[in-house]
Order: sequence, then C-alpha cells, then structure tokens
Amino acid sequence: MKATLNTGRTIHQGMAVEHKASPGYRVAVSVCYMNPIDLMDLGIEQGDRVSLTSRAGRIVLTTRAAEEVNRGEVFVPLGPYANHLISAETHATGMPDFKGEPVDVIPTDDQVKDIDSVMEEIGGVRHDH
Amino acid sequence: MIIKDVVCPFCGCLCDDLDVEIDGQTIIKVQNGCTLAESTFTSSNRLPAPVRRTVSGWEVISYDEAIGDAVDILLSADRPLLYGWSSTHGETQSFGVHIAELIGGVIDNTSTVCHGPSILAIQEVGHPGCTLGQVKNRADVVIYWGCNPTEAHPRHMSRYTTFATGFFVPEAQRNRTVIVVDTRRTGSAEIADEFIRIKRGEDYQVLSALRAIVRGKGKIIPSEVAGVSREQLIRIAEICKNAKFGAIFFGLGLTMSAGKYKNVRNAIELTDELNRHTKFTISPLRGHGNVYGSNEVFTWITGYPYAVDFARGIAFYNPGETTAVDILRRGECDAALIVASDPGAHFPHSAAAHLAKIPTILIDPHQTATTPLCRLQIPCTMAGIDAEGTAYRMDGVPIRYKKIVESSYPDDADLLRRIHDRILEVKGT
Repeated sequence: MKATLNTGRTIHQGMAVEHKASPGYRVAVSVCYMNPIDLMDLGIEQGDRVSLTSRAGRIVLTTRAAEEVNRGEVFVPLGPYANHLISAETHATGMPDFKGEPVDVIPTDDQVKDIDSVMEEIGGVRHDH
Repeated sequence: MIIKDVVCPFCGCLCDDLDVEIDGQTIIKVQNGCTLAESTFTSSNRLPAPVRRTVSGWEVISYDEAIGDAVDILLSADRPLLYGWSSTHGETQSFGVHIAELIGGVIDNTSTVCHGPSILAIQEVGHPGCTLGQVKNRADVVIYWGCNPTEAHPRHMSRYTTFATGFFVPEAQRNRTVIVVDTRRTGSAEIADEFIRIKRGEDYQVLSALRAIVRGKGKIIPSEVAGVSREQLIRIAEICKNAKFGAIFFGLGLTMSAGKYKNVRNAIELTDELNRHTKFTISPLRGHGNVYGSNEVFTWITGYPYAVDFARGIAFYNPGETTAVDILRRGECDAALIVASDPGAHFPHSAAAHLAKIPTILIDPHQTATTPLCRLQIPCTMAGIDAEGTAYRMDGVPIRYKKIVESSYPDDADLLRRIHDRILEVKGT
C-alpha cells in the first residue's frame, strides 16, 4: 500500500522520552497508527507488523488501529524509528519533510528491532552500562 | 518535604506551579503537573560517569580526561558543529555560543527541526504575539492550527485557554470559542467547539481562503478548499471577526508540512488581516522547555536565533545552508558537540549517520539514541531538577528553574566553561 507518513508527538512518546533506554520508549515510538480500513485492506489486524519503506530507509513497526488517521496515511510517533524513514532533504529551509514522506507499507513477519540495533545500522555502537 | 512552585522543564509551557515531594535527594511525587511532567521528574537511564568509545567497546573515564578529549577534538576540527541546547538553561547556551565563536564553528539549536520556519516567517513579516497571561485573561476565540496540545502541551488548555478562567473571561467553557484545524481528528479536536479537517499539506490554501473572506472577497472562494467547505470557512471568518480578542496557536503541522515557513507567513498575514476588525494575536507552541531561550541567547550574542556560522570570523546566518541537518546531510562537519538534545532520535537518520563517522561529543544526563553515535559522552545535571538556571517560556517570559535536589553530577554550564577556558588558554586569544 502506498501511503503518506505523518510523524509527531504522542502522549506515550512524551512520557517515555526521558527514559529512552527503557522498553516503554521503544514500544511508544515503534508504532504505526493506521486507519482500520487500511488495516483491513492489508489483511492484517492491530498488533500485526508492517514494513515501511521510503526513499531514505526501511523499518518494521507494530500496527495500531486509529480512526483519527486518514485512509492512505500512517502516523508514526517522532523518534528513531520514524526518522529512519525521513529524508534529510530540506529544500533549503533547514527543515526536513517530517510530515509528508511517501512510504510503501507491506505486512511482514519480521521483528521490530531494538533502538540500539537501529542505531547500529547507521554506524553506531551500542552502549550497555 | 514538599517544594512548592517548581518549574517543569519539559515543554515550552514551563508550568511554574508544581508541588514536588522529595525524600532526601529522591523525588517521590509530582503534583499539579501533567503526565509528561511526572515522567520528566522521575527520569531514568542517567549515565553514571563519562564514557569513551574504543575499538573494543566503551570505557569509563574521568571528567578531567573527558574534558581533555573534548578540547582536543574541538581544537583539531576544521568545521565543527555545535548542536542542541534546548533542554538546558541559558547559562549553558551562552558558553556554547562563545565556544563556537572561539573555534570558528557552526552553532544550531533544536528550533532548526521545530519552529525554525516560524522564525523565518517572523523575520519576513513580524510577530503579532502576546504573553500567555493576555490570552488567559482576554481571549474569547482561540484557534489551534496544526498542533495537538492535549498530547504535546497537556496543560496549555487548562492554564491558558479552553478550561482557564480569565479576568475578562469568567466562564471559560461558555465564554471561549475554541477552534482546531488539523488533518487528523486529534484529542484536541474532540474538545473543540469547531473542528476544521483539512487535506494534508494544504494549510496554505485554507489560510489564503480565510484571508480573502476576511478582506470581503468571499464570493471568489470555490465551494471547497483543501477539503473544507466554503460555508465552514465563512463561519470561521465571522467567528474570528466578531471576537473581542482572538489568539492563534500553531504547531509543527505548519512548519513541517509542504510550504513550511510560507504557511506560517500566511497565518501571520491572516492575523494581520483580522486586526483590521478586532484584536488578534498568533504564537507558536514551542516544544522543548527552553528552546525559546536558545533563540534568545543566540540572538543577544550573535544577532541571529539559530544556524549561526562563525567560520568567517563573524556571525553568518543562512538557514538551509548553515542548519544542522543540511551540514550533516552534506557530510560537511568533521567534529560535533551535542548538548541537551538527541539528534540520534530526532534527525533523519541519513543526516544523523554522519555523527557516527566523525568524533562526536555528547553532553547529556541520559543515555539516549545519540549515545551509540558518539565517541564521548559526558553526563551532567538536568536543568530544573538538579541544576538551576534561566529558561524562556514559549511567550518569551524568562522563568528561573529551581534546583530541587542535589546530585554528584556537574552542571553542564560548568563543563562548557571548563572546555571554553581550556580552548582559550591553548589558542591564547
């Protein structure tokens, strides 16, 4: 399914943002909110996983049904998962397209990665203290 | 012990009426605050000591070693980037700007990926704003455009608008009309008197249509603009024109969508148009607790609010070129100092990836998504919890953060002062 990616704050993301190494943060930001009819069209249910691919990258997220999200759009809370998909192009404004990135959404059985694994993909080294 | 009138450092509301209960140096309970405040005061995953990345992993080092490494990295760089600054106090921000000037670096703050476009619009057409107190006491029409305060600024509605009793607004819920404009029916839209649902990326058209109607050119408006009916647009324009005092608050729905700063410029010009009929103001809902402060501090020292480049020996400002994401995307910087922010989580990864290729220093209390990308992390106090300092509320009112508990961590302003003084000593200027 072709969709437009919207990103932004959720209360769950905000509550976990000062606890970034916690499982709660990972759960709060690795969610893909979708219209229930789009979920039905994909033949999956809330809680199933989808792979999102953009011009910048690919990431696996857990779906959650959300009536408030328009059909043909997906909403991912701001954070390291959403930003794996956002292009760094700013059109000479300094601001990337955090709202409006085109993505392909397909159901997948792949697992949602932990944040350190996502950061390792871009050259990071996990830190376990 | 209960400490009264504590300032929450999380979002730009800087609510200053919290009661925080502490036992010794441990925070037990937060009262009056929203859920975001409570989780901020009880934050976890603070890094216990400075760490340095080695070929085989990470090693714990002393603060003296960490500062020595940071100075070496910054002095060896040809094009250092200094980024962040919004989750700390003004004293730290000030040292950051002075270091950037000393080493000829680029310094940028988080408004670059937040309300930077709003600043560009304000520089074009001005800012007809006011303090939140004016809104609370006077506004009978409030518009939230492209923002969702119930999740991002949970007490904004209860302290200043929808549910707040004001001097000239004695019965808030009856006397105030609240309008929400968004592409999604958010929690804020659910409690609004009127919800305008627009098509994604078409805010500019709706703002232009409203400007035309307010100007008396309603007849030229087609039957629908960006998914909004002409009837609804005319109704909204009438509500605004008949207001005694109107206030527009806007969020990243305008700054991050197609059009970016031009959307904000159009919203400001709508406000200008409405001021031909009544009093109307417009203000951005600022995100980080002290992001407004970073704009203030940068401006009073350099003349520019963000994206300041000292490579020429003078302050140079050109958003789109000297902004952090653009510099990282081009792979231009050869060292980075990140303070009080998390670009690993909040920058596009194609830009943040460059941080892992260069020596990146992170000064932050917590282990964050930037930690794996850095070579060196130096933990510090949290402004408003174990450090005091000055912050600016979203309406430009300076508020003093309190230190409510003692900790063994150094203040980030002290760390930066030491880095600054060492660089000055080496450069001898």
